Amino acid sequence: MRASLSGVTKRYGRTDGLSNVSIDFPVGQVVGVLGLNGSGKSTLLKLLAGLLFPSAGKVTVFDGPPRENRAKLVYLGENDSLWTWMTPADAETFMKGLYDDFDIDRYRALLDSLAVPKRKTKAMSKGERGRLRLAMALARDAKLYLLDEPLAGIDLLSREKILQSIVREWHTDETILFSTHEVAEAEGLFERVLYLREGRLALDARAEELRDQGRSVVQAFREVLG
Amino acid sequence: MTRHGVLVYSLTMTTKSAWRLDMNAGPIFVQIASGVRRMLARGDLAPGQKLPSARDLAAELGVNPNTIVHAFAELERMAVIETKRGLGTFVREDAPVASLRRDLLQAAAAAFSAEVTALGISKGEALGVLREVLDAGES
Amino acid sequence: MKGFKTLFWLEYRRSGAWAVALIGSLAFWAWALFQARAVDPVELSSVRTVLLVIAAAVGALVPALMIGRLRGETRGGQYQVLLLTPPSGTAHVAARYAFALGTAAVYFGILGGLAWWVVGMAGLTVDASTAAQLVLGLPLYVVGTTIAPILAWTVLLTVFVSAYRIAGPGWIPGTVMVIGTPFALRWLVEGIARAAYSLPGWPILGSLGVPEGAYMTASPDGHEPEMIVDGIVHIPQEPLWIMLALTLVLLVIASRIWREVEA
Repeated sequence: MRASLSGVTKRYGRTDGLSNVSIDFPVGQVVGVLGLNGSGKSTLLKLLAGLLFPSAGKVTVFDGPPRENRAKLVYLGENDSLWTWMTPADAETFMKGLYDDFDIDRYRALLDSLAVPKRKTKAMSKGERGRLRLAMALARDAKLYLLDEPLAGIDLLSREKILQSIVREWHTDETILFSTHEVAEAEGLFERVLYLREGRLALDARAEELRDQGRSVVQAFREVLG
Repeated sequence: MTRHGVLVYSLTMTTKSAWRLDMNAGPIFVQIASGVRRMLARGDLAPGQKLPSARDLAAELGVNPNTIVHAFAELERMAVIETKRGLGTFVREDAPVASLRRDLLQAAAAAFSAEVTALGISKGEALGVLREVLDAGES
Repeated sequence: MKGFKTLFWLEYRRSGAWAVALIGSLAFWAWALFQARAVDPVELSSVRTVLLVIAAAVGALVPALMIGRLRGETRGGQYQVLLLTPPSGTAHVAARYAFALGTAAVYFGILGGLAWWVVGMAGLTVDASTAAQLVLGLPLYVVGTTIAPILAWTVLLTVFVSAYRIAGPGWIPGTVMVIGTPFALRWLVEGIARAAYSLPGWPILGSLGVPEGAYMTASPDGHEPEMIVDGIVHIPQEPLWIMLALTLVLLVIASRIWREVEA
């Protein structure tokens, strides 16, 4: 298993962000993490990234604690998280100096194909910033990708470009967890889908099996979570 | 196979809409495999022609590359395509184009027949309508 | 340390403007010192001394603010990004600290030069090596005993408050730390006072090869020397070592806490 959660609960004050969740993620799987706002999607990804520590249970990534394996995973958070004065060139300096698995040529190629402008991030639109952050993430040669709403607030054309880039850059030994509200657009990518509701796992299924039963991922979403 | 000489379509240029992938219509790999067979039957694809790589096609369609691989495996099983190591995936020279055409036509006919039954129209009237449409199509 | 160079670069890009402004402000202090006018030379000296003290306080405050920055960009997604970078907590803490301390050291070095100039204007002249000690040694001593630990304390406070943000209201441990500091300080000062001079002090004007008996001449207004000061004043070395040790301890604690931070 590339990653797993075992009886994990994350408490926020009196509520449970995640409640007794156990999931295994094999090598090379592309997983959709779906659910309404507040269902625990971000919490799940942050626990796997090592940004949060579980209140109960155990999170394992690369056979060890997530924070200690942070060099081997890529986490792309929901919030815009670059310094406003940074240009794509600055981002390159940042990534190159801190990550061994950062591929400069791939980064520049991605900047090109995602049409990221050569400006400071404060002078970029939300979509451009999203594409820059994605270029930074996909240019790394990691084995585990945790993408939290990479398409949020991004215009349609950019979203298509982003999905295409993800498909192009993916290798068969890479595990990708991808949470999104744009279920319909991204559903073709998912091999497996997890539906979270109020901190619990409501459904865990193979996408093609769902379709074999006559339900699209979107339909199952409505049924399980509606 | 009149369109051979003017092979306008290359699979890499087709879009999601041209493939008519419907997430509600069953497994994607089945739809992809059917799509390739349809293109072959219609002459949009020719025997011996190279198919785009699984990754390229996956990127175009926005689907998981494993799904395309699964579809290709199906097509290989049906002896429609073959993989040549190091060179790529190709439509077989001996791909059963004729029988694929027949199958497609038969499927269309079955759909027509189902509609006829559902509407409660007689066979004679149905054949008449069919002839009208075919005649109109020729001109 | 892995990644230190890039983290330092990042710190420079984030706070470089502050650092440049701070060091540039010395031009203002130099101008103010020069412009100060008073009838009585003693009053003039004290006016200039006050200006120097204010400048010193600014030199302590601004780097602390550079590290602090509890709001704004540090609290945004950038913090998450930093937490997940491969370099250790030690590298992160060290880079932030090194930049702030480096800025402070340059500032106080130049301030030392200004102080020497003020001293010169008051009519005191000193020989070259003594001047070197005053301009370089004294600022370093001051920085080592006061600024260094203050900045380390700021780093620790920042990391500390962030670490316990989720586990409970982050302001509680932060407040505890802030409130507890005066008590800790008093205990520290008393401890240092007791320890001071147990080791031989550093002769302020006699170290670095200047022989005993070197002197300072005081000639206000350029008249005949009115007094000859036997300039052997000893500065205790314990405070410096104790404060440097404290600085190190604070930084190590900050590095350890960095590992425990949630975002």
